[in-house]
Amino acid sequence: MDSKMKWRFPVDERRKAACMREIRLQVEEKRFRRYPSFAENVWNELRFQSPWHWALQGGVLFAALLVAVWGSRRAGTDSVNIAASSVFIVFAGNICLSGVARLFSWHMAELEQTLYLNLKQMICIRMLEAGVVDSGVLAILTGVGGGCSVSGTGVYFLYMLVPFLWSDVLYLYMLTAFRNLFSGFGQTAAGVICGLLALFPAFLEKAYQPDYVPVWAALSVAGILVLGVELYRIPGKIERGEHVCLN
Amino acid sequence: MPELRLDRVTKQFKNKIAVDEVSLSLKEGVYGFLGANGSGKTTLLRMLCGVLRPTSGEIFCNGMEIGRLDGEYRCMLGYLPQDFGYYPDFTAKRYLEYLAACKAVPKDLVHDKVQEMLRFTGLEGEQKSKIKTFSGGMIRRLGIAQALLNDPEILVLDEPTAGLDPKERIRFRNMISTFSKGRIIILSTHIVSDVDFIADQILLMKQGRIVGQGTCGEVTESVRGRVWEYVAEPEEAQRLNKKFAVSGLRNETGSVHLRLIANECPCEGALPVEPGLEDVYLYYFEEASEYVQDLERGNA
Repeated sequence: MDSKMKWRFPVDERRKAACMREIRLQVEEKRFRRYPSFAENVWNELRFQSPWHWALQGGVLFAALLVAVWGSRRAGTDSVNIAASSVFIVFAGNICLSGVARLFSWHMAELEQTLYLNLKQMICIRMLEAGVVDSGVLAILTGVGGGCSVSGTGVYFLYMLVPFLWSDVLYLYMLTAFRNLFSGFGQTAAGVICGLLALFPAFLEKAYQPDYVPVWAALSVAGILVLGVELYRIPGKIERGEHVCLN
Repeated sequence: MPELRLDRVTKQFKNKIAVDEVSLSLKEGVYGFLGANGSGKTTLLRMLCGVLRPTSGEIFCNGMEIGRLDGEYRCMLGYLPQDFGYYPDFTAKRYLEYLAACKAVPKDLVHDKVQEMLRFTGLEGEQKSKIKTFSGGMIRRLGIAQALLNDPEILVLDEPTAGLDPKERIRFRNMISTFSKGRIIILSTHIVSDVDFIADQILLMKQGRIVGQGTCGEVTESVRGRVWEYVAEPEEAQRLNKKFAVSGLRNETGSVHLRLIANECPCEGALPVEPGLEDVYLYYFEEASEYVQDLERGNA
């Protein structure tokens, strides 16, 4: 203990206090930045959605359940059930993506792109949210409707997947290609067009016959690929900025 | 203390070059970009904020390219776009709280910061009103409030005083002056008096290039000997008005007092006078000055 004390340097309390004061001043002047985690960003993005938005998302899931139950009680009328579910899934996708479309409305995109949580990240979060609700709708319709279908759950899933994927491809394309058009009237028009297209196979006599399952499978694979390309393209377009500035 | 450096930054939209090889170094202070519509001010500001990506050239903040700094750069940034965006169904308070969350303002500071900004911009009494009920001036003030929310080290304001009445404009100028210590404030405008009062450095932009830079005194000095006053008959005044850039015209009984911009004495009897920033603006941006230069070269 004594040997340690012997080697201690004498402390000049006056100079120590001056140094500490200087450090304190430097620390006070320094700006501290906070970088929220991904989870915190997701929470921040979702908590500012309006109650109307959440009611709409909940409503879509509840309506999906009603459509599925209605279909399951109409055994033996496969094509009618599939057509009704297809149209519903198309409209559900349209409603779910309204949160993404909102980011481009009211000239907000340019400002959002300059925030810490920028437009690209906001879009990812809202797409994730739309994807979760959309997948929930798909799961309900396939799970309940497919179980009662003569085609079987797997094939029924394919019938749902095709309108689900291709309508989302169109909505996402509209979101960036026509700038502010995917809101209000434009969004409704896109929903109606997709709804009519989803209804189209019901008018073809053999569309839901087992012979055509490979066609549905091919359309699903193509849809996955095109949707993948579309999802990859959107962040790049935002990064370049021209689209953001002209929104 | 932040430092911004632009290295031969160019932005091209198809065949149009909006910003042409601009190189600049910006340190602490207020920088006022002055230029006519379409001179490339907004495009340059958008690139500074990372909204637009330059076609060529790079922008550095404290020696690092802003794209690489990514979120760290955006944390230092406050931006008021020319077309300021807002959600009309949000109240002013909720809107600022939303942006504070997106700007990564610490949670325990959000409430105080929002209230401070609402007070600062005189919107405290309207904090529970929906933005859709706001006047143009109030929306602009809300825009200024959001830009300052995160205590930015780099503040970029595109046409910040558009839509503000004279009282609000004065308040804004004072606000920027008090806020400028230790920060880079960049504002673009074509309202000459705004930069005249608050900018430490004035940058004149024309056709995507910086054609002049300096303090207000230095910039006005560049047009010394090119500003003239002349008292003319009404008919002669009309002729001169068509021929030269006129920065002032005052009718008096039987005569007209003209303030003309010309490289050489525009007419016999015209007297050179002390230039102002408005004269500088007209000299650099008024088409008539090009006409005058052509005339003097003997081309017109």
